[in-house]
Amino acid sequence: MIGRLLGPRRARQLQRFVRNGKLTILCLLLTVIMFRGYLGAGRFGTPEKDLDDIRVTLSYIRKRPEPRRVLEEAQGELKSAENAGAGSNNYADFDIRKILRDEDDGVEEFKRDPSQPYSLGSEISNWDEQRAKWLQSNPKFPNFIRENKPRVLLVTGSSPKPCENPVGDHYLLKSIKNKIDYCRLHGIEIFYNMALLDVEMSGFWAKLPLIRKLLLSHPEVEFLWWMDSDAMFTDMAFELPWERYKDVNFVLHGWDEMIYDQKNWIGLNTGSFLLRNCQWSLDILDMWAPMGPKGKVREEAGKVLTRELKERPVFEADDQSAMVYILATQKEKWASKVYLENAYYLHGYWGILVDKYEDMIESYHPGYGDHRWPLVTHFVGCKPCGKFGDYPVERCLKQMDRAFNFGDNQILRMYGFTHDSLGSRSVRRIRNETSTPLAVRDELGLLHPAFKAVKV
Amino acid sequence: MGSGGAFPAQKRSSGVLPMVNGGARGRAAPLLPRGRQIHKTFHNVKITILCGFVTILVLRGTIGIGSLVTSEADAENQHLIEETNRIIAEIRSDRDPSDPDEGPERFLGLNDTFSLGPRISNWDEDRKVWLEKNPRFPSYVNGKPRILLVTGSQPTPCDNAIGDHYLLKALKNKIDYCRIHGIEIMYNMAHLDKEMTGYWAKLPLLRRLMLSHPEVEWIWWMDSDALFTDMVFEIPVSKYKDYNMVIHGYPDLLFEQKSWISLNTGSFLFRNCQWSLDLMDAWAPMGPKGPLREEAGKILTANLKGRPAFEADDQSALIYLFLSQKEQWMSKVYVENSFYLHGFWEGLVDQYEEMIEKYHPGLGDARWPFVTHFVGCKPCGSYGDYPVERCLKSMERAFNFADNQVLNLYGFRHRGLASPNIKRIRNETVAPLVNVDQFDIRHAARHTTEPQS
Repeated sequence: MIGRLLGPRRARQLQRFVRNGKLTILCLLLTVIMFRGYLGAGRFGTPEKDLDDIRVTLSYIRKRPEPRRVLEEAQGELKSAENAGAGSNNYADFDIRKILRDEDDGVEEFKRDPSQPYSLGSEISNWDEQRAKWLQSNPKFPNFIRENKPRVLLVTGSSPKPCENPVGDHYLLKSIKNKIDYCRLHGIEIFYNMALLDVEMSGFWAKLPLIRKLLLSHPEVEFLWWMDSDAMFTDMAFELPWERYKDVNFVLHGWDEMIYDQKNWIGLNTGSFLLRNCQWSLDILDMWAPMGPKGKVREEAGKVLTRELKERPVFEADDQSAMVYILATQKEKWASKVYLENAYYLHGYWGILVDKYEDMIESYHPGYGDHRWPLVTHFVGCKPCGKFGDYPVERCLKQMDRAFNFGDNQILRMYGFTHDSLGSRSVRRIRNETSTPLAVRDELGLLHPAFKAVKV
Repeated sequence: MGSGGAFPAQKRSSGVLPMVNGGARGRAAPLLPRGRQIHKTFHNVKITILCGFVTILVLRGTIGIGSLVTSEADAENQHLIEETNRIIAEIRSDRDPSDPDEGPERFLGLNDTFSLGPRISNWDEDRKVWLEKNPRFPSYVNGKPRILLVTGSQPTPCDNAIGDHYLLKALKNKIDYCRIHGIEIMYNMAHLDKEMTGYWAKLPLLRRLMLSHPEVEWIWWMDSDALFTDMVFEIPVSKYKDYNMVIHGYPDLLFEQKSWISLNTGSFLFRNCQWSLDLMDAWAPMGPKGPLREEAGKILTANLKGRPAFEADDQSALIYLFLSQKEQWMSKVYVENSFYLHGFWEGLVDQYEEMIEKYHPGLGDARWPFVTHFVGCKPCGSYGDYPVERCLKSMERAFNFADNQVLNLYGFRHRGLASPNIKRIRNETVAPLVNVDQFDIRHAARHTTEPQS
């Protein structure tokens, strides 16, 4: 019909055009279907859901998708469907981000001048004199509780926001209980930090501004003991050998050869260390801080550290590697006041300790602090508060339970109880109640230990 | 595509569906020149290949035939998800895999008697002798009596992660107060007695601690859902030198109305002495799990005003004990309400901003509550008595309200009461000790307490 109207050649052209058109449309349709499948908008979702999926997929592509999704999917089964609204009494489906928000309460904020190079605070050069004067005028706050027993402040902390891992907060709670127990026995005060003092010094660097602030605000404290939140006390009876440290200012677990000769990045550990409250410490903190500020500074510093230190993998600068670098390159300046302790486990890597607890219970007793009965078991790499750590989840959490119970048994024994086993939460009695409780002596003598006695 | 087939019938059939290889077949084929035929075949093959390619891509996208390539990663993910689920469920369940099978639980019958331990009758003398023999563990240090704050929570993770997070924050809050005031903390996470469970678990625990620590003068029990909100206020222990127990409550509600909430056992102190042991022995019998607790609950509901029907709880039992044996106990019990040793949260949490404006820490009463107690919120369980959002928001506010008082020494403050983030409110200086003298709560006692700005 069209051929009759337009003439044969024209008709043919038209038909060719129509055929091409049909082909193009068909191919377009197939392309759309293909894209729909790829971008995850398939599976018979509604157009709105499709858009959501696209947005989500694109944002996943920006971050590391898999681990986060795994944990969220794992949580998905525990959460119920939709939030029932503001009136819900059910804690399961509540998103805490609804209530956390910054507000301005009118109090003036002081910000650091960003044009200036980073510094932890105004430079102080006479801290020893200032502090000595203060101690003299405050005899009720001595820096030594007894002869050879300095006043110690144990500092640890965690994020003020809930953990990303649903059981992370539970392990933080157990960890701080463990520290409370040790410190109560040994007359040590605790500061649990939940505040990020300096946004630039985030992550593992957050301890630096905190330590400096605490040293300057607590002149009565002689030693500040930093301890990571993933480290637990496993020897409740071991008292630190304070006389050994009377001439040094910085005690870390490590080995001299590994730092000064090999420059090994794990030659020392900054997860558990002691720092004296003095001018020297302020100086080393000032020397330590420059590699910390988030962003380009930290990245560049990381490259320097990977290059200079043995076996360090490639990642941004961390406080531990920075300290190794400082000590190795400025040995003459600092080494005389640094003590690298390895006679006991001021920091004990968990991997080599946790399987031996039963052997230890059989062959030894608390009080050694070393490989026979470690003072501290440090769960490096487990990251129970984060999404995923460097080790399998099951091993980490089970072993943290065991280490906690191993330490807790020493506390419970004082009261006549013990855990059913190292993996069990329930406790059983090992000593009956009597009508003369004061006649009973606890074997380890931890109820009234010498290191807790007051000066008479 | 422009095969110029001269026959309209052919074109029609081949134009509609290019996938149909109908072009070259059919009656007209032998009549076409060879070149044309080859061209047509080639053309059809091209289309076939193109369509086949597109089909594969579509299938890959929608049905996931491409999962043959990525199946390894998916399988690993699946495995991770399953493992994580299993571990979390195992950790959350009450049943320990390593626990021996105990068989059916045996409850104490109604005719059985329960006791916390062998009767002790001369604890005061024993304790005095011990203190004399151990002068290095005195019961008074720097003129203040030794106080032990006892609190705790269940050994298993809370039903929801947010519960553990607020337990952690509440513990930090207690650590801060106790550090400032020289009080020791004992955080319990063990069920010491299988019969005295739930709120009754504090009785065997407190008794055990009293007997193991004769050097402790006062034991202070505090619930895990109570927060300190006045970091400066100190309990006026000298006021209680003739008393053995300090508990928040209202005497008229107690004696005249016999109300079941006339006293609060979420925060109370008692002295380490024989009287306290006797009180606990008299208090305990309503506690053992099972028929004893159920029956006791009925008696309490019948006798106390406003009490709903549920099993016996320690608070109602104590009130009933005080009412029925008033002469024996009340002379040594101080019912305190001049400050908020326990402060019910609902009436307090909205006033924090007003308090900051008008008053200052150190008052401990309605103007600046000592303790804000989140009764009924139960963040560690699955359901509370109040809307979740209100409870959690209020707990966060109370925590930050208190934390501001701690951070004040360091020159920081929260960005509003609902924020976990902080801001600097005082610059670093080269003479930090001036600030220490002014702002450290322990030293501030020497100077006049200045109003909080």
